[in-house]
Amino acid sequence: MRFQSQKIAWYFFAACMGLFVLQLIYGFILGFDRMGWEGLHEIIPFNVARATHTNLLVVWLLAGFMGAAYYIIPEEADREIWSPKLAWIQYFSLLAVGVVAIIGYHFNIWEGRKFLEIPRPLDYLVVVNVLAFLFNILMTIWKGKRMTTTAMVLFFGLLTAALLYLPGMWTFDNLVHDSYFRWWVVHLWVEGVWELIMGAILSFLLIKLTGVDREVIEKWLYIIVGFTFLSGILGTGHHYYFTGGPSYWLMIGGVFSALEPLAFLGMALYAIAMARRGGRKHPNRIALSWTIGCAVMSFVGAGALGFAHTLPQVNLWTHGTLVTAMHGHMAFWGAYCMLILALISYALPEMTGRKNYKGWMPEWAFWCSNIGMICMTGAFAVMGVAQVYLERKAGMDFLDVQEGLEVHAFALILAGALFTFGIVLFVKNFISYGLPSDEAMIANASEADATASDSGSTDAIDGAAAPQA
Amino acid sequence: MLTKSAAKAFFLGGTALCSIAFVLLSMDTLAQFPERSNQDEMTESVVRGHMIWNKNNCMGCHTLLGEGAYYAPELTQVVKRRSDVWLTEFLKDPERMFPGRRKMVKYDFYDADEVGAEEAKKNIDDTLAFFHWVARIDTNGFPAEPDMAPANALATAPIAANSILNAAPEYVKSVCIGCHSIEGQGGTVGPALDGVADRFDAEYLRKWVADPLSVKPDTTMPNLGLKGEQLDDILNFLGTLKEN
Repeated sequence: MRFQSQKIAWYFFAACMGLFVLQLIYGFILGFDRMGWEGLHEIIPFNVARATHTNLLVVWLLAGFMGAAYYIIPEEADREIWSPKLAWIQYFSLLAVGVVAIIGYHFNIWEGRKFLEIPRPLDYLVVVNVLAFLFNILMTIWKGKRMTTTAMVLFFGLLTAALLYLPGMWTFDNLVHDSYFRWWVVHLWVEGVWELIMGAILSFLLIKLTGVDREVIEKWLYIIVGFTFLSGILGTGHHYYFTGGPSYWLMIGGVFSALEPLAFLGMALYAIAMARRGGRKHPNRIALSWTIGCAVMSFVGAGALGFAHTLPQVNLWTHGTLVTAMHGHMAFWGAYCMLILALISYALPEMTGRKNYKGWMPEWAFWCSNIGMICMTGAFAVMGVAQVYLERKAGMDFLDVQEGLEVHAFALILAGALFTFGIVLFVKNFISYGLPSDEAMIANASEADATASDSGSTDAIDGAAAPQA
Repeated sequence: MLTKSAAKAFFLGGTALCSIAFVLLSMDTLAQFPERSNQDEMTESVVRGHMIWNKNNCMGCHTLLGEGAYYAPELTQVVKRRSDVWLTEFLKDPERMFPGRRKMVKYDFYDADEVGAEEAKKNIDDTLAFFHWVARIDTNGFPAEPDMAPANALATAPIAANSILNAAPEYVKSVCIGCHSIEGQGGTVGPALDGVADRFDAEYLRKWVADPLSVKPDTTMPNLGLKGEQLDDILNFLGTLKEN
């Protein structure tokens, strides 16, 4: 940490931790429901728990992206945040909107459209909130001493994410129309512009952790995000196979979404190659584990498992089954949750001056959560594939099949418990760092000056020389 | 060797091309939607049914056009699996149709304090109108017919030509056989009804069908609120089920 205003990122990260833990609690409610233990049905029926589970994820990831931007942008632009006060207002209003929305779900106040359940009046507040955030970030970059590729890709990702929120507010009487634009938000976020944010944060972490020259990292960043959009934009077609769209989407969606794993494979190879190439042994090894883990798990979850059911011939049978839940869990975990946890792991020692990345706890947090998620994905895979064959292919009754799968829901809960153990360790480790301090900032700044290995890019306004690492 | 500016050009060029292609395809798709979804058949009732679907976050458990939460059945073709009579009975109190099994919330489909009988009936009618409209959307063949299905004896299988069920009131054919079987056709939740008129006298049957809980408080058979002519028709039919 080199600037005082970066400290605000810590509060966003702390919110992430709290919301993440709450998300897991709702995950257990859903798991027990699937096991046949619907004890909470009267108070929190499945659809409430489900909306809360997914929306908490979205809110904490957005809070994570914002925290990431408030941490990264000052360092990239080489100046304080344009208005820390605006950042604070934006922080509290984001949390307020998120909490109000989630409480509202428990009273049937929602729009009932998957992932976009947040009711309309709150939608407008989200828009205002995000505009304030983007304005603050843009002003920081604009007034900064340099304009790096990493900062620009991050900003472009955040800006397009905000713009793509708007089609979701466009509702239609016709279900088919409604669903069409819903995917403009959901798909173009997670398989489109969020990957820009992911690419930029990974670049930042790799520059810091491996010491590989910025020019090299940022060049490959362009290639990877290029592949992301090349495949991801027309890959939206895989949501239009069976939802009322014309049949050409079967071909277009199939071909382009088959290319989507390449972007994720590129991201994984890039992270591994840069880590190998790097000359610097950064002492924070666990942050590097999370960084590479993120790139690898996103390839497995989003790339490979997505491909497993994306071709129309397969999707005709798997569409609307638990196979989707299998892919969804590991994809979000790998691509976005691990990304935020990677940045938090890197930023905490920088912000607090404590070196709590040593010892068993962060390591166990990493391994337990990842192994737990792999096992959860396995449980979902068994349930999903069984559902496809028994219900869709053999024509058995839906409920008969689901009741037959309850034992696998128990396996899901066991795996979820291991995952949760890992996350609890991560949160404990987070708490052990304590609050961010200005002393840490000063110490880090002098250290950074001494090594000066984060070279300026050629895009840099000040034209800083770029020594090779 | 690839330069950074070439990489940047690849990113910007590729993104621009794909975005343009996507927008053009979207325009064509939107133009085809009215015909593919029979938009002209979207009556006020259908639209209101869609509203009810959204308001209660039905896709938080069910799937429709394959989109939703995989906790409750896929409903795109539900009107082909179940008759309107069955669906109406089901919506009034979902749990009594599947006692002790996965639960569904009781929404504004029954005559409660907050909702009058008329309002509840309208909610059901509109929801069913919405499902009938959805079932006719051109979905490129989703959901596919099971291609590995053994010849199964679901309640939805067509009634054999010589079956006594042909003479049954619609209510028996679509609701009763959800749980009971007649001549081997129907569910296995309750006992088979073959020869039921031999086992019980008419008065007992009337009491049982009209209000099962008053006869046997721990029965899983729901109180279906049957009365009047409908109850008479059902009992007349049950009276014909003799084996001796």
